Amino acid sequence: MNLTTIEIVNKTLKKRRQKERVFRAAGLVSVLTGLAALVFLLHTIVGNGWGAFTQSYIQLPLKLDAQVLRIDNPLDEEEWDYANYAGVIKASLRERFPEVTSRKQKRILYRLVSPGASFQVKQLLDDRSLLGSEVTLWLPADDDVDSLIKGYINRELPEKERRVKDFALTLIDDLVSSGQLERKFNVIFFSAGDSSEPEQAGIYGSMLGSFFTLVVTLILSFPIGVAAAIYLEEFAPKNRFIDLIEININNLAAVPSIVFGLLGLAIFLNVFGIPRSIPIVAGIVLAIMTLPTVIISSRAALGAVPPSIREAALGLGASKMQTIFDHVFPLAMPGMLTGSIIGMARALGETAPLLMIGMVAFVVDIPGSFTDPATVLPVQIFLWSDSPERAFVERTSGAIIILLLFLVIMNGLAVWLRNKFEQRW
Amino acid sequence: MSMNESNHSLSSNASEYSTTTGQIEVENPKMSMRNVDVSYGDKQAIFNVNLDIAKNEVISMIGPSGCGKSTFLRCLNRMNDTIESCKVSGDLLLEGQDIYDPKLDVVPLRARVGMVFQKPNPFPKSIYDNVAYGPHIHGLANTKFELDEIVEKSLKKAGLWDEVKDRLDQPGTGLSGGQQQRLCIARTIAVSPEVILMDEPCSALDPIATARIEELIDELSANYTIAIVTHSMQQAARVSHRTAYFHLGYLVEIGSTDDIFTNPSHKLTEAYITGRFG
Repeated sequence: MNLTTIEIVNKTLKKRRQKERVFRAAGLVSVLTGLAALVFLLHTIVGNGWGAFTQSYIQLPLKLDAQVLRIDNPLDEEEWDYANYAGVIKASLRERFPEVTSRKQKRILYRLVSPGASFQVKQLLDDRSLLGSEVTLWLPADDDVDSLIKGYINRELPEKERRVKDFALTLIDDLVSSGQLERKFNVIFFSAGDSSEPEQAGIYGSMLGSFFTLVVTLILSFPIGVAAAIYLEEFAPKNRFIDLIEININNLAAVPSIVFGLLGLAIFLNVFGIPRSIPIVAGIVLAIMTLPTVIISSRAALGAVPPSIREAALGLGASKMQTIFDHVFPLAMPGMLTGSIIGMARALGETAPLLMIGMVAFVVDIPGSFTDPATVLPVQIFLWSDSPERAFVERTSGAIIILLLFLVIMNGLAVWLRNKFEQRW
Repeated sequence: MSMNESNHSLSSNASEYSTTTGQIEVENPKMSMRNVDVSYGDKQAIFNVNLDIAKNEVISMIGPSGCGKSTFLRCLNRMNDTIESCKVSGDLLLEGQDIYDPKLDVVPLRARVGMVFQKPNPFPKSIYDNVAYGPHIHGLANTKFELDEIVEKSLKKAGLWDEVKDRLDQPGTGLSGGQQQRLCIARTIAVSPEVILMDEPCSALDPIATARIEELIDELSANYTIAIVTHSMQQAARVSHRTAYFHLGYLVEIGSTDDIFTNPSHKLTEAYITGRFG
C-alpha cells in the first residue's frame, strides 16, 4: 500500500467534515432550545402581565356636599381627616341606580367601586375650595369587576361558583353600555405603593425602594471594589497571604446570596441595631454580595490593559501611581463599569438576602429616603405572587415585566459602554 | 551553568567566549557597567558583562535571539524592576552614580535615561498629550506656552512635526506604524534625557519607515547618547559608532562598528555577521 499524502488526507476528509456537521448541529440545537425557553418565558409573562397596565375605571359625578361628608365646620382639620368620603361615592352610585333599594343589593352596588377610591376623593379635597361643588371622576373599579371586564371571570359559570353575582353583572353591563365603565391606562400601578386591594396596589414604592437600595450598593461596592482590585492587581506583593485573599474573593462570589442576608441580619440589625426594612441595610448587604463580582471584573479589566502602555509610562519616568492613574485606570474604566453594572443588575434582581433583613414587610407608604421602610421590586413580586386574588396574578407578571425591562436596560448599558470605550491596540 | 549550548556547533565551550574581546573602556564614559550579572529566578541571563558607553555615541547591541542584549539594555534604566523575579548585580554607573543604589529613585533615573520600545506604544491619547505627558509629570513646563514649545520642539526633532502639526488633537494611535514610533521617540526626547535606549525600534516597521528612524537616530546622536538593540546587522552597521556582540548572555566582542563588520576578532562574531547562524 503506497498511498500518497493527498490520498490519505482525502480518506479522512469525509469523517472530519462529518464531525464538523454534527458539532454545528448540536450547537444549533442548544441555541434553539435556549431561545425557545426564552420565548416561552416572555410569552407567559407578557401574556399574564400585559393586563396589569390597564385597569377598569368607573366614571361617577360626585357631589362634594358638606352634609354628606359630615363636615360641619370646614376650619376644623380633624373633621376633614374623618370625613365620610366614601359616602360621596355611595350617594353618587345610589343616584346612578335609583332602582337599587334593598340592603343586600346596595352592598353589591357599593362594591363595584374600589374601597380605596375614597382616598382619591380625600386627595381631591385637599383643595378645600371644591367643597360644595360637583366633579366627575374616573374611579378605579373593584378588582373583581376589573377581572370580569378583562375576561378572567367566566360569565357562563353558575352563579354560585362565580365571584361576580348576577345582580352585579346587570349593574356592570349597564355601566359599560352607558360608557361609564372603561379600561384605561393603569396610573395607580405606576404611582402607588403596595396595598391589600389589587386595584390600589402599585410598584412605585418598591421601585423607589430598589432605587435607594441600588444607590447605596453602587456607592459602596464600586469604589471599594475598584480600590481593592487596583491594590491586588498593581501593588500587592506576591505572597501566600495575598493568594489566600484572592481565593477567598473568588469563593465569596459563589456564596449563596441568602448567606449575605443572614450576615446582614446578624451584624447590622442585631449588633448595630439598625432598623429593619430600610434601604441602607439592604444596600450594604447587596454591596457586600456584589463586591467579589466587582473586584473580579475590575481585576480582569486592569489585567487586560497591555503591558506596553505601562512600560511606556514607566519608561518616561512616571511613578507607579502616575502610571496607574494616568494610563492604566482610564483604559480599564469601561471594563470596570461593565462589571459593576452587571453586578448591579444582579443586585437589582436579588430577593433572598433581603427577606432576611425585613425588606419583605408590607409597606404601603412610598419611601422618601434611604431610611424609610421600603421593599424592592423582586420582593414585591414575591409578595404578590403569594396573594390569592386574580388581579394580583397579572400585577405580579406586570411587575416582572418592569423588572426585566430595568435589567435589559442595565445590561444594554453595559454592552454599550463596552463597545463605545473599547480600545484596540 | 544550565545553558543549552549544543544548539550551535560553533559554541562548544563557554570558555571560548566568556571573556570579552576588544576595548571595553572609553574615556569619560557616560555609563559604565562592570561585572553585571542578571538572572530571572534560577535562570541566569547575563554573565559578567563589562561595558562603557561614551557620551554622544551610538552603540548597537547585536546577537542571536535570547543572547541577553535586550535584558542588558533594560538594566540601564531599571526597566527590569517591573519583573519581580529579575535580579541584577554588579556596578552600573551613570556618570559615576550607581543606578542600582537602593536609595536611588528610579523616577529621575528614567527621566535621564529614556526608552523607546520594540513595538510603537503611544498612549491612546492625542498626539499632543503623548508628547506633553513626560514634561507634564516632571514639571518641566510652567505655562501652557512653554509646554506647547516643548511639544513642537520634540516633534520637530523626531521629524514628525510637519506631518502632524495640523492634527495634534487626534489620537496618537491613529498614526501609521512608523509615525507612531517617531511619536514615541518625540515623547522620549520631550523629557530631555541624556541617554536614549532603543529596544529594536524598527522591528515592527517597513523599510521606508525604518530608513526614516535610522536617519533620525543619526541626527539625534549629536545631542544624545543612544544605545540600540537590533536584529538587523545592516542597521547596526549604518547607525552605530560602536557595536557590541552578545552571545548566550556573554558580551563576546566590542569594538568600532567598522572593525566588527569588516574585521571581527572573535570567530563567533564573524560567524554571526556572515550569517552562519542567528
